Amino acid sequence: MFGATLSRWTMSYFAAALIFLAIGEMMMVLGFGYPVSSIEAPETLALVHTIALGWLSLLMAGALLQFVPVLVGRPLSFPHLAFPALVLLVVGITSLVLGFASLAGTDGLSPLLLPVGATVTIAGFGLLVSVFATTLWQARPLPLPARFVAAGLGSLVIACLLGGTYAFVLSGLADAPGAIDLTLEGVSLHAALGLGGWLSFTTMGVSYRLLTMFMLSPDRERRSSRTVWILGAAALGMIVCIVPMILVGFAGRTTVLVVAALASVIAIGIYMADIVRIYRGRKRKLIELNSRAGIGAFAALIVATVIFVALLISGQIPEGVGPLVYLVTFGWLTGMGLAQLYKIVPFITWLECYGPLLGRMPTPRVQDLVVETRAAFWFRLFYLTVAVASVALYLDSTWLFRAGSLGQLIAVNALVFEFVATRRLSNVPSNLRLPGGFTGPHLFFPSFQSRRQP
Amino acid sequence: MQPAESEELVDRIRDTLRTIVDPEMGSNIVDLGLIYDIAVQEGGLVRVTMTTTIKGCPATAFLKEAVQNCVWYVPGVEYAEVRLTYEPPWTPEMMH
Repeated sequence: MFGATLSRWTMSYFAAALIFLAIGEMMMVLGFGYPVSSIEAPETLALVHTIALGWLSLLMAGALLQFVPVLVGRPLSFPHLAFPALVLLVVGITSLVLGFASLAGTDGLSPLLLPVGATVTIAGFGLLVSVFATTLWQARPLPLPARFVAAGLGSLVIACLLGGTYAFVLSGLADAPGAIDLTLEGVSLHAALGLGGWLSFTTMGVSYRLLTMFMLSPDRERRSSRTVWILGAAALGMIVCIVPMILVGFAGRTTVLVVAALASVIAIGIYMADIVRIYRGRKRKLIELNSRAGIGAFAALIVATVIFVALLISGQIPEGVGPLVYLVTFGWLTGMGLAQLYKIVPFITWLECYGPLLGRMPTPRVQDLVVETRAAFWFRLFYLTVAVASVALYLDSTWLFRAGSLGQLIAVNALVFEFVATRRLSNVPSNLRLPGGFTGPHLFFPSFQSRRQP
Repeated sequence: MQPAESEELVDRIRDTLRTIVDPEMGSNIVDLGLIYDIAVQEGGLVRVTMTTTIKGCPATAFLKEAVQNCVWYVPGVEYAEVRLTYEPPWTPEMMH
């Protein structure tokens, strides 16, 4: 069969993710973590995991629940595991962040929250990986975008295992020499596999499909796109290989890291050329806001890649890694996430509310659920604040960073308000809003009514 | 049914299907090129072959059902059958 179903829990994942994003933005405004604290400080680790796990990973998981079936053209396996996975992830990530806060000296919190949170988070991701891996396995041979997702899931598994090891070492529950070596020397691998493999590589793969779909660009597998996958997967494989090298004390790790970095940079360069071709080859002349806002994220990825190469050549990675990771996390990943949410939320809402009515009575278009002119302002403010905060980090100006973060908090909250307005059908012309006496959708939770869905 | 009558029925069905607007594209499914074939057989049996812009699109079942409903209510149609296909896959060049 060709069908893909409407994911029941995707909106709940998105809601939880946006709450974590707002919390993370508030932490930055209040000066909790980097740059007020050092990059290795427990406060910074609490902030990083609020954003990387709470916001970006929940967002990615929710999106994959809806779009993996679209990528492979078959329904999701074990879709009922999505809800328990969400509960485990929210509880686990919250506990993990509080565990880091306890290491920072916050009263009344036990450091045991760290290993407990890591274990529960890994259990949540384990359920999700089972769902996605089974679906992908049954859909072989995989189309190219799905192969990116497969590599991203592999990166997630290794990043989780490394993170779990660190949590047990930092809380004093593990003191095996190998675990301590990994904690001392492997944090950059954990970050590279998490931000680079799981979040960025998966985003790249999904973007190939979603952008061509939303802009009606030629949807064929290009040799260049296959090269991006090969180079990216090879780079991630090399990073994974460094883990056993650390455990056995094998020299030459730097060489492998540099080769992996070069492969990644070339892959990003080819990927960007593909993206330009997709935008230029589109049949839809009017670009919708999600695709326009995505351009800011691509620009951030290009700038971050140029800075990375400059730092690599000048040997100043340790000095410049903070601003670089910020730009990747907020400019590229958060920018792309918010931009695509601006499309996915109305699309899912339309399916929920108006899909069953199609062909029976007049229904609004997906675009009728949003007001682009209003949201475009908030996207501009968001990217402006990312630029300001990035510059502030390079200038080592804490007050400018916090001011930029305040602007970003406002922009993010305004966009959340737009998503809520979409869910409430507030933008739909009143004569089309609720035809046939239907009630509106729940804000975050799936409808348990007997509304028919495909 | 005479060939001329068949042709006229196909035209009426095609016109009716123009009322179904793809929610994402904002154009009707006929002009988007999603209707590959409309075949009229003896006794008012109509077979519609259609596709969607992307395989696995979550709106697929809604679009298919909308087509079935619309065709069914066209005068002269006694039975409507809708078949979904991705051979050939839809491309933007198929838009009219």
